[in-house]
Amino acid sequence: MSSQTTSLDGLAQFDRTTSIWGPITLGLGFLVSLGAALFAAFGTGLGITGQEVWTAFGIVFATFGIIAVVEPISYYPILGRSAMYQAFMIGNIANKLLPSALIAQTDLGEKPGTRRAELIAGAAIIGAAFVHILTLIILVGFLGTWLLGLLPAGLIAVARVYILSAVFGAVTIQAIVSMKNVRTTIIAAAVSAVVVYGVLRLAPGLANYATAISVVGVIIVAWFARKRTDAPTAAEAPASVGH
Amino acid sequence: MHRFAVDPSSTDISPVSFHPVLWICAAAVFAVIVLQSVIYLRAIRKAAGSANLTDGQVMGSVRRGGIAAIGPSLAVALVAVSLLPLFSTPAVLTRIGLVGSAAFDVAAAGLAAQSQGAQLGGPSYTQKVFAIGFAAMTLGGLVWMLTALILTPILSKGDKTLRKVNPAVMTVVPTAAILAAFITLALTETTKSGVHVLTLLASAAVMGLCIAAAKFLNKPWLREWGLGIAIFVALAAAFLVTAK
Repeated sequence: MSSQTTSLDGLAQFDRTTSIWGPITLGLGFLVSLGAALFAAFGTGLGITGQEVWTAFGIVFATFGIIAVVEPISYYPILGRSAMYQAFMIGNIANKLLPSALIAQTDLGEKPGTRRAELIAGAAIIGAAFVHILTLIILVGFLGTWLLGLLPAGLIAVARVYILSAVFGAVTIQAIVSMKNVRTTIIAAAVSAVVVYGVLRLAPGLANYATAISVVGVIIVAWFARKRTDAPTAAEAPASVGH
Repeated sequence: MHRFAVDPSSTDISPVSFHPVLWICAAAVFAVIVLQSVIYLRAIRKAAGSANLTDGQVMGSVRRGGIAAIGPSLAVALVAVSLLPLFSTPAVLTRIGLVGSAAFDVAAAGLAAQSQGAQLGGPSYTQKVFAIGFAAMTLGGLVWMLTALILTPILSKGDKTLRKVNPAVMTVVPTAAILAAFITLALTETTKSGVHVLTLLASAAVMGLCIAAAKFLNKPWLREWGLGIAIFVALAAAFLVTAK
């Protein structure tokens, strides 16, 4: 305990640096992305109106907005303050950053939650980000188009048309398995089926809002039909969907 | 190289999707992440002694984190390559590969296309639909960044008060929202054509097999690679069926 003063100084310095530079770098990432989005919509001379972009964004927000608020809250206890700024900048939290942090902590015999664990997690996330950026630049940036060129030309055309089905089949199964909630899965399947095969047949004009309607509907039904005897298991973060 | 001929109704999206400005934005996102990592690494190394960590242990953690990320990174790259025909390199690098995820970004782009009465990838997938889809997925992703920016200081001061409001809200709501969103999107695909149904089922089946095999054969990597494998097998199935 003799080194307590230095101890506080060193970590206080770390807290200062990350509480200033964490938001600044995340904010920079935010501005660059915003610039890219605004340029694609308005800077390319495609004649896209603000109304069209707002409508498209509104539908996305209605569908995923709730998750975008809940996810950061759920991850906070696992990541801690400094790593929050890393994680929501780099993305791929559940499938890459958290496993990397956990492995590094286990190797050094540290449990999540301590200051030592926080520094180890930060270092591990830096390593994970480095490897991720490298594989993306090489495999997707430089070799991606060439790799696609090895495939038959017809396959690329088919890929463009059916890619949504190919992604959603797998992602839906993944979501169902990782949520481990039979009751909510059945409710979600029933409500979604009613919306897609029923409501949309009767009112095709609602097509834009089908997903948002399902999301709100399932949340309401699942809330009233939840198992009230369950002990709260809030400690478990939901599987990442957006990041 | 591409002519930067802009035509909102052209189905050759490359003049817009490979626009130099989008390349610059992609590079800038990578640069910001590198900057953040450098600043954090310096701060961690300075603070290490106070937390009873040697410099060797810090750099060892960087190395272990990197090694642990190789598998997931390759799996993400596989998915990213499969999405190149749809979104092109700059958008795939920044959104799918980096800050976003295939599941959210493809869903967001699909919803945005729908608002234009179009479908991703088909004859109705024009430059304009691409641009609106890219803008919508990026703006949607920004909501995550914004909530992280706003909530992190609040949570760190309030010490998890937000979580204590009602734990049931924190489990029921996100589970319901995620399942509702993706099941609805999957069912919507079934209304498009028989081949869409087949592609969807093939993808779901392969993912299910990967998850089951990962569990019973105790091969966790199969779970990570599941999405990429499922996409490629499902697209191959669609190709075989449509090729006749």
